[in-house]
Amino acid sequence: MSLLRVENLHRWLGEGETRAHALRGVSFEIESGRTYAIAGHSGSGKSTLLYLLGLLDVPDEGRIWIGDQETSRLDDEARTAVRNARLGFVFQFHFLLKEFTALENVMLPMRKLGRLSEPDMRAKAAELLGAVGLGDKVRRLGNQLSGGEQQRVAIARALANDPALILADEPTGNLDQANADRVFALLRDLAHTRGQALLMVSHNPELAARCDHVLHMKDGRLLD
Amino acid sequence: MSPPLLIALRFLGARKRAMLMSLAGIVFGVAFFVVTQAQTAGFESYFIKTILGVNGMVRVEDRIQGGRVLSAADGSAFAIAVEGSVKYIPGVQFPNKVAEALAGFPEVTASSPVIRGNATLLANFREYDVKPHGIELTTFVAVSDLESQIIDGSLAAFAENPYGLVVGARVARRMNLQVGESVLLDGAGEPQRFRVNAIFETGIDQVDRERVYLHLAACRPLLNKPTGASFVQINLADPALAPALAPRIQQAIGHSTMPWQEREKTWLQVFSVLRVSSALTISTIIFISGLGMFNTLVMIVVDKTREIAILRSMGYTRDDISRIFMYQGGIVVALGVVLGCVAAAAGTWGLSKIPIRIRGIFASDHFVVLWDPWHYVAAAGIAVVVVLVASYFPARRAARIEPGSIIRGSSS
Repeated sequence: MSLLRVENLHRWLGEGETRAHALRGVSFEIESGRTYAIAGHSGSGKSTLLYLLGLLDVPDEGRIWIGDQETSRLDDEARTAVRNARLGFVFQFHFLLKEFTALENVMLPMRKLGRLSEPDMRAKAAELLGAVGLGDKVRRLGNQLSGGEQQRVAIARALANDPALILADEPTGNLDQANADRVFALLRDLAHTRGQALLMVSHNPELAARCDHVLHMKDGRLLD
Repeated sequence: MSPPLLIALRFLGARKRAMLMSLAGIVFGVAFFVVTQAQTAGFESYFIKTILGVNGMVRVEDRIQGGRVLSAADGSAFAIAVEGSVKYIPGVQFPNKVAEALAGFPEVTASSPVIRGNATLLANFREYDVKPHGIELTTFVAVSDLESQIIDGSLAAFAENPYGLVVGARVARRMNLQVGESVLLDGAGEPQRFRVNAIFETGIDQVDRERVYLHLAACRPLLNKPTGASFVQINLADPALAPALAPRIQQAIGHSTMPWQEREKTWLQVFSVLRVSSALTISTIIFISGLGMFNTLVMIVVDKTREIAILRSMGYTRDDISRIFMYQGGIVVALGVVLGCVAAAAGTWGLSKIPIRIRGIFASDHFVVLWDPWHYVAAAGIAVVVVLVASYFPARRAARIEPGSIIRGSSS
């Protein structure tokens, strides 16, 4: 069974004269342990699609299955629970909570899920930060880390609840080349080694080409 | 600790100065509320204690005669009382029978007959109009605080002297009287000699400047009242029972019977208005703190919009987000109430030590306060309601944030 399946997704954005048909019948599937890039120009509907897949938005038409669960008609609370348990997000900006240390930021999704004890959460968060190369900076507050380090904390946070699918929206868009390469490699390796799927939106064709699959979008449609 | 509570605790530091100002407002509001209530309620309760100690809880006075009732028809149960047909015959003609009837009321702990009249006190070549009160000392001390009102001399000496006299403090001052001094009282045209055995002070100006106590037997010839009593003063197990009991006594013995709450209605209303007025005034401090809290939380919601969005994206529900902000209000109000109550207790204690000489409606040489836990409960209740209402709207606004649009807006 595919990890994610979408069928005939439609989404209109805006109102009145500015109303635009952002997604026009998108359908595809993705599998566990693979990396996918959605490439396309600005306004092609990449981010709209990503936010629908992340259950941060609701399609006007069409259906989304995560595993065997049809999610497009779930209420807000149920969609939030699916996000917590099965999805991980990495955004262009890290959005760390500056009042929390790197370790505590990574623990936030785990606290909400509530499956692990406090010591287990700490141990797992430390392990994830170690995996992204920040094992020695677990006690630093968000604003005491560099931009690249903050983004790596955000990756560790996205992996906190062992999500089946990691959704990344321009995860390297705010980083220099060296950090961008490092973050992308990290995401790809983690996805492969942990059997998680990575779906990434990127403007960068070189980065997109390094994924297992590239989905090209234009005018709200998938070209492939 | 629940995740929203943990996040709330950390977010509290986001606007430290504004949050501290709100906290200070709640602390001062709660403290001032309690202190002003302790003070006004203290004066009120002390006034009640004083007035009960002087004039008793219930007084049985004039006999009620008549009260014409018109029936709708012979044998009909429907009847109306004719207004103005009731006559009041001054005094209590048979005080012993009244006492026997009162003994049938379990709420009544003591009763004492009193004769009241007017006389002229002559001493030191001066004359002064007084109101002699003839009392049975043994029963009167059970319906009054006369024993504790004595400031000079003793009631024991008065008890032993059939022509003893206990005079009000201002009477003694005006006439320059000392304990042991001999005076004349002229009531019914024939002056009689009495000896001052004690001087009392109630603090009630009107009583202290005109009342003198003498034995009932000695008072009868003085006031030319050979039988009966002017009124019977009653003490109850619980002063609060007086309004309910007085009509029953009146019904049973046919004498006008007035509870202290009705007798002192004017002063009680003054105290009540003062208490409500001070509560309303001081509550504005808490309201202003609530507004401050509202502003601070709104600013935090605006500051933390992206953090709220990321929390929502990682699985925090709208309720969780709402709780984060409600908890912030809750933490501040809990801290404010605790500190406010401590400050209130310290302030109340300090106020009770401030020396101030009060005479007129009662006698006190310092501020009178009442330690009542309900003052603390009321202050805490007002603060909790105000702050939680003030926190609700920013919390609702935070919960309504759509994570997708915020994150997309930040990324684009």
